[in-house]
Amino acid sequence: MQSHNQYFVPHGSYWPIVGSVGMASLLAGFASSLHGSALGSGAMVLGFGIIIFMVFGWMGQVVHESEAGTYNKQVDRSFRMSMAWFIFSEVMFFAAFFGALFYARNFSVPWLGGASNNFFTHQELWSDFKAVWPLIQMPDPSKFSVPKDIIHAWEIPAINTLCLLTSGATLTWAHWALLNNKRNQIIAGLAATIILGIIFLSLQALEYGEAYKHLDLKLSSGIYGSTFFMLTGFHGLHVTLGTIMLIVILMRVIRGHFNPENHFGFEGVAWYWHFVDVVWLGLFIFVYWL
Amino acid sequence: MKYVILIFFIFIIYSLASALYYMMKDGEGSKRMVKALTMRISLSLLLFIIIIFAFWMGWIKPTGVV
Amino acid sequence: MATTTSDVQIDIDAHDAHHGPEKGLLRWVKTTNHKDIGTLYLWFAFTMLLIGGAMAMVIRAELFQPGLQLVEPQFFNQMTTLHGLIMVFGAIMPAFVGLANWQIPLMIGAPDMALPRMNNWSFWILPFAGVMLLSTLFMKGGGPAFGWTFYAPLSTTFAPESTDFFIFAIHMLGFSSIMGAINIIATVMNMRAPDMKLMDMPLFVWTWLITAFLLIAAMPVLAGAVTMMLTDRNFGTSFFDAAGGGDPVMFQHIFWFFGHPEVYIMILPAFGVISQIIPTFARKPLFGYSSMVYATASIALLSFVVWAHHMFLTGMPIAGQMYFMYATIMISVPTGVKVFNWVTTMWRGSLTFETPMLWAIAFVILFTIGGFSGLMLGIAPADIQYHDTYFVVAHFHYVLVTGALFSIIAAVYYWLPKWCGRMYNEKLARIHFWWAVISVNVLFFPQHFLGLAGMPRRIPDYATQFADFNMISSIGGFAFGSSFLLLTYIIVSCIRSGEPIEDERVWESAKGLEWTVATPAPYHTFNEPPQKDKILSESSHVGAH
Repeated sequence: MQSHNQYFVPHGSYWPIVGSVGMASLLAGFASSLHGSALGSGAMVLGFGIIIFMVFGWMGQVVHESEAGTYNKQVDRSFRMSMAWFIFSEVMFFAAFFGALFYARNFSVPWLGGASNNFFTHQELWSDFKAVWPLIQMPDPSKFSVPKDIIHAWEIPAINTLCLLTSGATLTWAHWALLNNKRNQIIAGLAATIILGIIFLSLQALEYGEAYKHLDLKLSSGIYGSTFFMLTGFHGLHVTLGTIMLIVILMRVIRGHFNPENHFGFEGVAWYWHFVDVVWLGLFIFVYWL
Repeated sequence: MKYVILIFFIFIIYSLASALYYMMKDGEGSKRMVKALTMRISLSLLLFIIIIFAFWMGWIKPTGVV
Repeated sequence: MATTTSDVQIDIDAHDAHHGPEKGLLRWVKTTNHKDIGTLYLWFAFTMLLIGGAMAMVIRAELFQPGLQLVEPQFFNQMTTLHGLIMVFGAIMPAFVGLANWQIPLMIGAPDMALPRMNNWSFWILPFAGVMLLSTLFMKGGGPAFGWTFYAPLSTTFAPESTDFFIFAIHMLGFSSIMGAINIIATVMNMRAPDMKLMDMPLFVWTWLITAFLLIAAMPVLAGAVTMMLTDRNFGTSFFDAAGGGDPVMFQHIFWFFGHPEVYIMILPAFGVISQIIPTFARKPLFGYSSMVYATASIALLSFVVWAHHMFLTGMPIAGQMYFMYATIMISVPTGVKVFNWVTTMWRGSLTFETPMLWAIAFVILFTIGGFSGLMLGIAPADIQYHDTYFVVAHFHYVLVTGALFSIIAAVYYWLPKWCGRMYNEKLARIHFWWAVISVNVLFFPQHFLGLAGMPRRIPDYATQFADFNMISSIGGFAFGSSFLLLTYIIVSCIRSGEPIEDERVWESAKGLEWTVATPAPYHTFNEPPQKDKILSESSHVGAH
């Protein structure tokens, strides 16, 4: 019966153009505020507000349509595919930054230290420079914030890893509960995941504060600081997004949305969370251990 | 020891990717996705324990101990 | 499903099935219809093509004679930079997405794209990004002037303030491309008529499917590269600064990891278009359909492992040079398969030379010239001579203008009658073809000689021994540029007052599901998917294997 049903092609929608206006305002405002325009930050905040408005309006409409039974199996499959390939694009975005980390550790830093056939490069440019990783003393320290130390694996990072891994476990517990239709267990599992996510973010903020205030480890601390903060920073951004999405899902569960037959929203967000979790594991391994 | 960690990590990514594949392919009512995710979280926890153990045994050292 | 049918469902069925498009301007802003969005993409691309073309005219006018005559060198550099960026991100890529929007649902028997609202968003980001990119020209310090490849440190330490706007414009364009690609994958994989197998799909659909994968893998890397640029410029990171342990060469690696697949993003759909047109006018099934599919896939895979052939002169271990050289040359094998298949499709066919076919044949010949000069550039020791000369300019204009752009023009001539139900003026179209194809060769062929003689690219002035060929090239450039005025006239007059066509099959021996719907194509098509026998009888490659 369902497969003969027509594919849902929505009416015209205002949300995309609203999103474009918001995005343009946010980014143009950001760019102008970088060059001291007072108007810029206003436009940025406005654009951000418009985007938030758009996301909730648009997604609200999708949730409404979904709960009204407008989507058949085929539409569901389109959503699943697009979520999957969207996450793949995120993987490639992170890959660019992991690539930069890899390149710095294996090529640019050793080469600046004279490795391979770069003896004269080393002599000519910064002959005092010693190639060690983590790079605390950069080739030309005068331009950068030289850190006293780096963040060690056994401090907050290990606790955070445990935090995120546990959250992955609680989420999987909720996932099983959903498939077996145990409503209370879903809510408990999701709530635990959200709390762990928030703990993670708070600890991360604490760690950044520590690095900036006491260690002088900053974005401007050479390539180590650059890769460290950009990787963990973008990861933190994704955890924030994931937490917000989990909260939305929790609200929907409390309202009685989803059942063992219809729960793409849950699975999409769950997979996103697992993805963010694995990115952290990769960070933990490659930044702190290998 | 490094290679053990890397191999574990590859398996974790594999189980994560297969969960994505099942999510896309199976649609509602299939349990393959949640099974793959269970596998991936178990492997991750195991890897974390292995790292702690290897550190405790002195097989690996974190970066930054100059 | 019947039990859960709500009022929303009934409303949509009643509204969408029986009504045409909304009236007025808002139709285009709100639309979720793949044909409307395809039209928007194509007009946007055409506008950008004219703007980018005007910039090219400035470049050729300055190079008409040696010495500095018309523009400041700094402005000349802004022109070369924005010409490249606009043509790549504003003209060629959106034009292909526009063709995909129009054609893919028609070719696979789908009612629309898989995610119609997102489809609208993919388009409506573009005008904002385009305006943001062009606005850099009017800012303090001028627009970006570091070439379309925006190498660090030119684009970080030494760039004008407007570069940050350029960075965000690239972010927006990339976001739009990624959403467009996701939509195309979901459409092809999920919306095909249930009886159409993957290996029944027309080649245009196949090439776009593979292109979409390339986009999803490559565009986020570009986003990463410009993000690092942004933080290097404004927040003190040192990704591309050796003083902090980074490396400007790392920028080139990251950029070309995106940049080389990008080249194939712009040419694979062109292969698809040509593979649709040649069988129609040769009145034969496409030769070697499955080998075409595999060749496309292998070109796509190889495109990710050859990026550093753009960097033979920026410093790389010798083993790296050897590897990238051989890997690059390997790409000529699947590309050769394609060219041979097109030629073999024409072999002993009953050829006729309507305008789309003329453009397709010109594509095959001229793209092959561009391919061969690419092989020359791919040979590391020879590239030491060619690198950053006009030979490179000639090479990539042969593959992108007489390759990608020609295929887009061919596609428009081929499908426009179907879209608007009117025929273009065949006589004028032929005049336009010969005008364009002669002038484009006068424009770009002498640039090979200039490059081999050592004229560097991206310079506003040059030594006097290059004067004659530059003058010839500029004359060709003005002639080619003006041919687009004629093209504009042909298209507009076709849409407004072309001779109406009734036939569903506009071209006598064209095959494909798009030729089974009414002419002009109705606002909604394939509400019911086509049946198996129809799909098979409309396949342009049955019998070829």
